[in-house]
Amino acid sequence: MTEPIAEPAITVRGLTKRYGDFTAVDAIDFDVARGEIFGFLGPNGSGKTTTIRMLTGTIAPQAGSIRILGEDVIANPERAKRRIGYMSQKFSLFEDLTVDENLRFYAGVYDLPPEKFAEQRAYVLKMADLVGRENELTANLSVGWKQRLALGTATIHEPELLFLDEPTSGVDPVARRHFWDLLYDLAGRGVTLFVTTHYMEEAAQCGRLAFMYAGRLIAEGSPREIREHYLQEVGATNSNGLPRTSTIEDVFVHLVTREREETAR
Amino acid sequence: MNPKRVRLLMWKEFLQLRRDPLLLRLMFLMPVMQLVMMGYVVGADVKNLSAAVVDLDRTVTSRRLTDSFASSGYFNITQRPAKEADLRPLLDRSEVKVALVIPEGTEARVSAGGAAPVGIIVDGSDSRIASVGSGYASQLISAFNAQRLAEQGLVLAGPGIDARVRVEYNPSLRAVNSMIPGLIATILILSMATIMSQAVVRERERGTLEQMFVTPISRGDYLVGKLTPYMLIGIAQMSIVAIVGRLWFRVPFNGQIWVVVLGLFLFMLTTVALGLFISLVSHTRQQAQQTVMFIMLPFMVLSGFIFPVASMPSVAQYLTYLIPLRYAIEIMRGTFIEGAGVRELIFQLLALALFSVALLGSAVFSFHKRLSD
Repeated sequence: MTEPIAEPAITVRGLTKRYGDFTAVDAIDFDVARGEIFGFLGPNGSGKTTTIRMLTGTIAPQAGSIRILGEDVIANPERAKRRIGYMSQKFSLFEDLTVDENLRFYAGVYDLPPEKFAEQRAYVLKMADLVGRENELTANLSVGWKQRLALGTATIHEPELLFLDEPTSGVDPVARRHFWDLLYDLAGRGVTLFVTTHYMEEAAQCGRLAFMYAGRLIAEGSPREIREHYLQEVGATNSNGLPRTSTIEDVFVHLVTREREETAR
Repeated sequence: MNPKRVRLLMWKEFLQLRRDPLLLRLMFLMPVMQLVMMGYVVGADVKNLSAAVVDLDRTVTSRRLTDSFASSGYFNITQRPAKEADLRPLLDRSEVKVALVIPEGTEARVSAGGAAPVGIIVDGSDSRIASVGSGYASQLISAFNAQRLAEQGLVLAGPGIDARVRVEYNPSLRAVNSMIPGLIATILILSMATIMSQAVVRERERGTLEQMFVTPISRGDYLVGKLTPYMLIGIAQMSIVAIVGRLWFRVPFNGQIWVVVLGLFLFMLTTVALGLFISLVSHTRQQAQQTVMFIMLPFMVLSGFIFPVASMPSVAQYLTYLIPLRYAIEIMRGTFIEGAGVRELIFQLLALALFSVALLGSAVFSFHKRLSD
């Protein structure tokens, strides 16, 4: 990317969302640098999706500030929306439209000029392995293809920042691996990725991680930093005197268990 | 609002409709089916009622009166008992629905210039047959009187056979004439509320709604792009009913087109907003469907479409003020049958305007709220 990297892709301060008495997101702060693959982890119901929906400007927070690519999302959600992309676990394509119609629709939404659309369409079809199936109904595609087409439509306008909410849930391991290759491709082209996932081996592939629990961030750092911190905290050997394993999964389980115990106390 | 994006959303909506051939077929079969049901079954005229005549007078006058009954087409004289007492079993067995009793001395009384009572007995077990049957009979008798007096060179003022009911506005008493204008409004709420109630909830279930609001599509773009295609379909449905009603069922139209258009436009906003509102407060498509069913029954019963409002108990009559369909039907019947204008229908038009503003307002408000939570 040639443009000067002035501001981080995402800056969040004191972000809070309450539903009645329930605090879904509790005054969280974090930054995501440009070009980074940022992994956002947490058990179900920890507030990940609510956070993403606030970051994309779909819902409004009660307190806090969000800057996306230098734009204030709360004051001006429309301006950031042109520059971001979003893909959810539901692969929200129009199932009763064809592959081509889905692409055409989203290209139209972002007002892509015809020559740009032709270029992007060719790229997406190739990337999603859908050349020759342009006129097939999206409902008839199998999960892996739907997932890649969803990625294609979410990036048809070449967003600078892409939000992915559990993009690989329900996808087989081969397709998942293939999908991550595509994500690395995007990252290589300078796109910032904000990914939530349940798969810990995916989390290990992120540049930086944040753990969310009960609406709060309980750990943040590169996978290595997080693992080292964990070993410092629990000791390098286990009760049998053997070297302790320190996968992201171990850390995750440890953190969540610790938090649960603390809340119970 | 961005007109380009609205057009894009409409294009998408029409494509999706085209891919749902069942829904599309239903939307155009519905007016046709309703027309057949309302035009031929519910709206069918009461004709050829089996009738009995007890002629105790046996004079020229009594025979002419009997003939006028027989030739009217409304009554089919199947029995001619000799005495009144024989009528009872005939009515009991439902062999006749209506009976005419001409007492002895009718001609003498009429010739003397006095009033001559005749008896009309109607089987009341079917209230519609009863009211229509007695209405026909009274009408026939007054026509008979008028003719008789005219023959004698007299003005219609003197006494004669004593039974008169004047049927206004719809002198031929064709039920279709009031059914079809009512159907134009009813079909709109039947199909619009049902289809609209599914529209947004379906998109939310599939996640496409969420996806669209991450893009620059604004809420206004979305709503207009969503509602317009369905409103166009609603207009097509109403036109089918109106055209078939005019050309096939020969329903007379006495009013002004623009009053009809204004009334239907306000009513369309109301129904679309109602459907949208249901769609927004429902979490699943089944829920939306159930809610529509729940609302439809009071709408049908209390609107006056089939059962006249005037004959409802007074509590129910007050409830009908809450049913927007009631006003729409009054506007349609008023313009079609009575040729009523804005002045006569101002209350109904204002009521619909109020409903459409209130419902559209709460639909937009809950749309906004639901999305920002």
